[in-house]
Amino acid sequence: MVKTKNKLVVAAVTFLAVLTLAGCSNNSSSSSNAAVKFSTTYKNSDATDKTATKNGTLKLALVSNSPFQGITDPQLASNASDSMAFAPGNLNNLFKYDKNYKIISGGLADQKLDRSAKTATITIRKNGKWSNGSPVIAKDIEYAYEVLGNKDSTSSQYSSDFENIEGMAAYHKGTADTISGITMPDGENGKVAVIHFQKMSPSMQFVGNSYISQYIEPYEHIKNIPIAKLASSAPVRKNPIFTGAYKLDKVVEGESTSWSPNKFYYGKKAQIGHITINVVSLNNIDKALQSKKYDSVVPFPAASLGGTDYKNLKNVKGFTNVGEPSLGYSYFAFNLGHFDTKTGKNVEDPSKKMSNKSLRQAMMYALNVDQVSKKFGNGVKQRANTLIPPVFQKYYDKNAAGYALNIKKANKLLDDAGYKKRNGSKWRSDPQGKPLTIHFGAMSSNATTEATYQDYLQQWHKVGLNVKLVNGKPIETNSFYDTLQKPSQNTMDLWLGVWSLSSEPSQSQLYGETAPFNMGHFATAKNTQLINKMNDSSAWNDKSRTKTFKDWQEYMNSQAGVVGEQFSYAWQPVNNRVKGFNISPANDVDFYSNLTLTSSSMK
Amino acid sequence: MWKTILRRILIMIPEIIILSILVFLLAKAMPGDPFTGSINPKADPAQLHHLMKINGLYDPWYQQYWNWVVHLFHGNLGNSYQYQEPVTRLIGGRAINTLWLALFTTILTYCIALPMGMYAAKHEGKLPDSIIRVYTYVTFCIPFFVILVIGVWIFGFVLGWFPTTGSISSTATPGIQSVGSRIYHILLPGILGALFGTVNVVQYLRSEVIDAKRSDYVRTARSKGVPEKDIYKHHIFRNSLLPIAAFAGYSITGLLNGSLFTETVFSYPGMGLLFINSISYRDYTVITALVLIYGILNLLGTLLSDIILSIVDPRIRIQ
Repeated sequence: MVKTKNKLVVAAVTFLAVLTLAGCSNNSSSSSNAAVKFSTTYKNSDATDKTATKNGTLKLALVSNSPFQGITDPQLASNASDSMAFAPGNLNNLFKYDKNYKIISGGLADQKLDRSAKTATITIRKNGKWSNGSPVIAKDIEYAYEVLGNKDSTSSQYSSDFENIEGMAAYHKGTADTISGITMPDGENGKVAVIHFQKMSPSMQFVGNSYISQYIEPYEHIKNIPIAKLASSAPVRKNPIFTGAYKLDKVVEGESTSWSPNKFYYGKKAQIGHITINVVSLNNIDKALQSKKYDSVVPFPAASLGGTDYKNLKNVKGFTNVGEPSLGYSYFAFNLGHFDTKTGKNVEDPSKKMSNKSLRQAMMYALNVDQVSKKFGNGVKQRANTLIPPVFQKYYDKNAAGYALNIKKANKLLDDAGYKKRNGSKWRSDPQGKPLTIHFGAMSSNATTEATYQDYLQQWHKVGLNVKLVNGKPIETNSFYDTLQKPSQNTMDLWLGVWSLSSEPSQSQLYGETAPFNMGHFATAKNTQLINKMNDSSAWNDKSRTKTFKDWQEYMNSQAGVVGEQFSYAWQPVNNRVKGFNISPANDVDFYSNLTLTSSSMK
Repeated sequence: MWKTILRRILIMIPEIIILSILVFLLAKAMPGDPFTGSINPKADPAQLHHLMKINGLYDPWYQQYWNWVVHLFHGNLGNSYQYQEPVTRLIGGRAINTLWLALFTTILTYCIALPMGMYAAKHEGKLPDSIIRVYTYVTFCIPFFVILVIGVWIFGFVLGWFPTTGSISSTATPGIQSVGSRIYHILLPGILGALFGTVNVVQYLRSEVIDAKRSDYVRTARSKGVPEKDIYKHHIFRNSLLPIAAFAGYSITGLLNGSLFTETVFSYPGMGLLFINSISYRDYTVITALVLIYGILNLLGTLLSDIILSIVDPRIRIQ
């Protein structure tokens, strides 16, 4: 269930969202806005109704404004909707993990890391089977890397980190037919696969890391299809097999899937007779849940319901809300340099408009993100005080101050740094006395989000900074990222972006010196050192790794090159007839098999 | 007439070529590409470049266009970048959904609108006429998406009479059950579409009938003692259908356009949603294929309208 490839593209809710009937009934917005405390589990005290469970259907909604794509293979899918539509099959997840996403034994396979031999040994459990009854074999593990790394693969998930595996680079280039660094001591039909690395990384202990795939491929089922054509083939779209507690009965392309218990599942047997998953648009989801069309929505760690939904759904009779902090967060980033395509490194450029740290800090102190979160988040959003979301309980620094509203401090910082109002102008000019106009880039989104942009502009104007939206209006998502991904750009001086972390939160690919996604080009020696330290040999020690993460958060806050805007909850209502509903990461593997019903009709 | 039709079709060829070049260039001129938006902490931009390269997206536009044309003549519209399946299959699936809904809506619209238009004209200036006129103007004035949202709320969620999402039940078995389920799913959007889409047909028909009522040939018929029923049936109705027939071709070919609003509100996977999604994801192959199909359908619609006109009114001959 852990999804690591959540699109950066945040569902841009179309104009229709404005029309959601939802808001009609309730106009109060001031009261009960304190941050909500969610539990990850709905503790249902009613007894399971065995007949209702066996013959019943659990109805789940998949919240999306567009049809899902129908690619059951998580390595080929490029969209979170697919992973939700096929979640009861468990997406062929290999490992079980704890609440910190650390891999533990007890899943479909166990993993053993050997630091001196530089290997990861993955052993499949003896009774591990696919939903068609055929055994899970070592080749299924190996084939996952072939599907990812094949030169003709349509997957967008291959990264150069995989070239840490011996022979992977040659295979990716097409100069080798097999990956020499993956061996199968008991043969292809055995249960053991050994991966040989050039160097070991502490991140390998966590699921969703960038070196070891958490998925397998049903080799026997798909071996006759060229990898380039896999995504469009029948075994992937029409008659796929899974390793999870449920097997797929039917898929209606783009709109629904239905499931029944998989009798070959190795673990706890699924109990509910049927599960159906239907796509429901963002405009309809609140009404659909209120009228009890669905028991719940498909759990998704990067949140599918927002603050307005919470306002509408928090008091619906017969439902209880569960939630956990989301993997996603929004952030302000400043344009500080460029990406040198020759050296492949981000370089800071001291002559950039935003290079002055005081200016950046002042801009952040001028904002009242706390109030914005309260007003529009209805308790499910809060100001982000760091760049690691609270879902990473160990690494998240809950004591970090971040940037709370402080106009006085903002003014002082600007005055001290020489950004003063000159010649009677209402705007501050830069320390050299030149007029200063700051261009703020923001993505087009729903009406609520766009209202917050206006609030931010007002706040900046209050401290005398002439900040304008780029082109005077929010930018369409594709153009937004197209501009930011150019090696060098001067269109946006700062911008508000959104993204979701992998369940293994190393920061090298986001803010590292060589990361092309470090779009603000914040690249100081100290940053590089801290990011590297997250995965050097010292980081095998949990305490030391935790400290590094906290140090990095403190450092990033002090530099204000990138500043978190909002954290949110991935929350959802559950009908009170459902028992065993627990969205904690630790329960991911057993999530669907733990569910039962306490009555045949919804409460 | 056949000669004319053939000639018209031949003229379409350069039109389609120009259209396809324009579409191709405009699609490429949009900022971004199919892979830019899909970055995430684990994706590697190098891999995205690799995908751009193997899909030929770095080639000059004329080369990409040429490749596309060559594939087109092999019946291959390419693969969707977003959906990772052949465009023909993708569009085929959506087109069937759209066709079901559009056909039902269109037939229902005409079934409601034609009698209404006739009735209003027959009773011109009287109460039924006023009621029908008010009805058509009111339905015309309310934005359709408002109707959809209210409709789905009342009939789908509050009363629970109709399904609120998708084109077919997830548990329907193939055969009669699945056909029944499909029809059940298009009932609400279809009826709403028909009830609120009558204005054009009603108003055209009404004014034409009123005109015809006063024309010389009707007066002549009356003076000959032709019964009123027959006058309406044989003399007035057929002549009044002309402007509606002129649109009929477009209506038929327009069946595939899809309705973005209906599809969004009902999560109904049709052509309208596909088109909008393909634009926001820069799914070039799907965009170009769809625009080309729409373009060809429009050209065919004009031709079809002319043909229908000539059948309805034998005095009109296309030459």
